[in-house]
Amino acid sequence: MIFRFAVAAIGIAALTISALAADQVEKAPPSGAYKKVSELVKLPDFLPGLGQLYVDPKTLPAGPFLAYDHDGKLVSTVYMLPIEDLTNKDKRFDDLAAPGGKVDHVDVYFNAGHPGVEKPHAHVVLWHVPKAAETRVAGQ
Amino acid sequence: MPSRRHVLLAGGGLLAGLAWPRLPLAGSPAEIRMQGKADGSHVWFDPIGLHVEPGQIIRWINLDPGNSHTATAYHPKNADHPLRIPDGAEPWNSDYLLPNETFSVMLTVEGVYDFFCIPHEHAGMVGRIVVGRPGSPPKESAHQTIPDIALQAFPSIDEIMQRGAVRRT
Repeated sequence: MIFRFAVAAIGIAALTISALAADQVEKAPPSGAYKKVSELVKLPDFLPGLGQLYVDPKTLPAGPFLAYDHDGKLVSTVYMLPIEDLTNKDKRFDDLAAPGGKVDHVDVYFNAGHPGVEKPHAHVVLWHVPKAAETRVAGQ
Repeated sequence: MPSRRHVLLAGGGLLAGLAWPRLPLAGSPAEIRMQGKADGSHVWFDPIGLHVEPGQIIRWINLDPGNSHTATAYHPKNADHPLRIPDGAEPWNSDYLLPNETFSVMLTVEGVYDFFCIPHEHAGMVGRIVVGRPGSPPKESAHQTIPDIALQAFPSIDEIMQRGAVRRT
């Protein structure tokens, strides 16, 4: 009896610790090492089409970048992959974090560059909201 | 409401505040717009080529709502870039301009001035201004570290002189 209670207590404690260790990303600002992109580099705070971005600087340039709408709700996870790396047979992007949960659909498109990721790159956008809800990060 | 960042006197070697009252101001500044597609897939200066007279003020304005841009002269003082402005002209660097911010310079030394956008040089976002008579074109050298896409984007001096302003959007 005591043994089963101890095992259950350890299990509950492990789950609690695990939950505490996982970053909260559903609402801005995300926990953990994420920083607001507009405070890391000189970019508008809210980017039309993407939203308000957060990134762990150690993961640059690939990300993940977490994108939030005007209400601070997570709408997408974005990876920024330099074209020169994508065409380099010796370069790989492995095990990129994907903390945003369920993905509704994915967009991939070219970007000419911006502060933080200056070289031309691809945006890989994992949308966590339906297509119709992309308007939540449209330009004002 | 645009915010004005700086006014520099490039080429005259004088403080703008001292020189300002004596300069021939031919109407409003010549404007170069920093623009980009909504998804950031294409960025450009508009016009990309411009002919002005000595003493004219050039004003860059960032009209791209989703990006930051710079107007930066090709000069060794700017991150060791090659010299592509006239001898004796002062280089400039606007630093990053957020949407609707502006930056101005006054160009007094005649010749050809090439400039670029720091985060978008590799995307070919460059421009060329001819002040007065063009004189010698910027020197090309195998040692220059300008991306090919940028080198190919400069409008020719002849086209600028013929048209006054060259637009490629």
